[in-house]
Amino acid sequence: MRLFKRLFMAVVAIAVSFTAAAQLPSVKLENRKGETVNTSSLVDGKTPMIISFWAVTCKPCIQELDAINDAMPDWLEEASFRVIAVSTDDSRFSAQARAWVEGHGWSDFTVLFDKNKEFMRAMNVSYTPQVFVVDKNGKVVYSHTGYTAGSEQELIDKIKSLK
Amino acid sequence: MKKLTILFVLSLLSVSAFAEQREGEKTKGRLTGSFETNSIFYVEDAKSGAITPQDNFGSNNYLKLDYYHGKFSAGIQGEAYMPVLQGYPTDLTKVALTNYYAQWVDDSFSVTAGTFYEQFGSGLLFRAYEDRTLGMNNALTGARFTYNYKDIVALKAIWGMPRLGMKFTDTQVRGGDISFAISNLVGWKATHLAVEGSVINRYEAISADLKEEGGKPSSTGFSGRVNFEHKGFVVRGEYIDAGERHYPNGAYDGVNDPRIDLIKNGNAQLVELGYSGHGLGVNVTARRLEYMDMPTVYRNTSTANALNYIPALTAQYSYLLMNLNPYIVQPSTLLGSYIAPGEIGGQVDIYYNVARRTKLGGKRGMKLGLNYSTYWSLAADRSAKADNLLWQSINFTLEKQITRKFKLNFLYSFQEYNDSHGVNNYTWKTNIFVADMLYKWTPTLSTRLELQYLLSKDDDRDWMAALAEVNFAPHWSVYVSDMYNHGKTNLHYYNAGVSYTKSRTRIQLSYGRNRAGVVCSGGVCRNIPAYTGANLMITTSF
Repeated sequence: MRLFKRLFMAVVAIAVSFTAAAQLPSVKLENRKGETVNTSSLVDGKTPMIISFWAVTCKPCIQELDAINDAMPDWLEEASFRVIAVSTDDSRFSAQARAWVEGHGWSDFTVLFDKNKEFMRAMNVSYTPQVFVVDKNGKVVYSHTGYTAGSEQELIDKIKSLK
Repeated sequence: MKKLTILFVLSLLSVSAFAEQREGEKTKGRLTGSFETNSIFYVEDAKSGAITPQDNFGSNNYLKLDYYHGKFSAGIQGEAYMPVLQGYPTDLTKVALTNYYAQWVDDSFSVTAGTFYEQFGSGLLFRAYEDRTLGMNNALTGARFTYNYKDIVALKAIWGMPRLGMKFTDTQVRGGDISFAISNLVGWKATHLAVEGSVINRYEAISADLKEEGGKPSSTGFSGRVNFEHKGFVVRGEYIDAGERHYPNGAYDGVNDPRIDLIKNGNAQLVELGYSGHGLGVNVTARRLEYMDMPTVYRNTSTANALNYIPALTAQYSYLLMNLNPYIVQPSTLLGSYIAPGEIGGQVDIYYNVARRTKLGGKRGMKLGLNYSTYWSLAADRSAKADNLLWQSINFTLEKQITRKFKLNFLYSFQEYNDSHGVNNYTWKTNIFVADMLYKWTPTLSTRLELQYLLSKDDDRDWMAALAEVNFAPHWSVYVSDMYNHGKTNLHYYNAGVSYTKSRTRIQLSYGRNRAGVVCSGGVCRNIPAYTGANLMITTSF
């Protein structure tokens, strides 16, 4: 117990002292066709992106992605960006998730499948929804967890500030 | 092992400290992590039959840290159960460093030493994963190697000992997986075709009785898979021969039936057909399971005692009344002398996005969803013949943005549930209606109201439920809910809560009465006892 406490204090101190911004880890995911996509290839040096971790069983995730999808035409007039919707559904729901994407009209999103939550773990996401704003060089500049209607506005505000 | 762990942690910290010294340089690496606490203060509640534990307190805590330095990464996870929350596996106790790993990820290969997660195919043959909602963590400690040749061949090889409770067991698992993308080899652009295969060997010392009965400590399973996609059409197939399986013989009496254990062979078949395009998403899944349990340790009854992943392939609901009796998958059913080797069934999902500015879609469009699923117990070994109905459900959903400020979700569900797990053919039938309404008063102030009604002649008969939520974006959310059984027990299951979110930190405090039932995550379920109390949940990552 004492060891655990000391360890906890030590790592928190180290974590706080670290100032380097998080970069995207390299993890292999599947796209809608079933092909392998390395997350490091998402960084294109040109446009920032919103990375949203979602699941078909996560109601607030769907609300947030629907809200982004609805606002996207207006947002794209203000700034150039991409939306990467990472489905954390395991094999039970990944097939359903593919159908869901089409049925929800998320045609402007890049949808990737993280079936054993490898990317989710690497980004230290405990629960969905969690959304990140990543700049064109792959640096995580903003993140929030949970969704309350209206909080999507922070995403576009952050993207606009990257200009 | 403990010394090894401490050594590992110290070396990790020294690497971090070294990195810290080089602050300002690109090479310093970075530390990232997450922390979660889920604590409940239980109170006595004679009405609901809640059982309060000693000290009226339970708390599950997780700390995870990862250090990245170029292609190298290392990390740890510590868990503390003070004590474990009710309904979780009881072998989660005290405080321990549960996971530790070091990893090198290069362009074409990766090497991991220590604790790792892995999944082959759909996970029916093998899956090592963590699900904190279930108290599930069957990570392996050992070594993993992956290799990719261009985007054509992907190889994985693993060896390790799986975790159960707070310890890594003596069971040994070794295996390999290969994926061969034929379409990338021949250069097809519009079509994806891959053939895949896995092998898993599991070794666990067995009792002298089981040995005498012909059981073997080592069993090997195989899986063969095909994945095909062309212009929105998807075909996936998987065949699994899971190898030898052992089961305690429920009919053993030492006289008429002298077998202490039963020796079986596991196998499964899974087919997925899908289409997506023109706003339409369709998915059809069919699956047959026969003796597909793959425990980490034989004769251990923990819900986390599994080396593979066998989800219920049905709709999973996020509304209170729809989740009263979720389907629990039956990879085999052995209850006393009753034996069903498994289940057979399937489901269909149809999603349709009715376009904006059409007659049906109106100005803002509309989303429709339909799901049907049915599962039956298997009548005999090596057979696809169905016996009793285990589960059947039809679900319809409609989502419509009525005005700029008002959104309506309507759901209907018919569920037929076999409470005896197929021993007899009597089923409970329920009809459930849900209206979920969101109104946005201002861009940051919104209210949500859920109204639910359940109609049934079985079990506790009729229920009603309501939930009201006020959101002050982006930080605060407050809710109250009540689930009321007016068909039989006249009990209220009330709940109220508040949550605060800032950046990657979320704090939620709630109080309420919770019904005994089943909690499911990813299609795997565990039973939870009734409890009344206050729940504090904090999650953060950095």
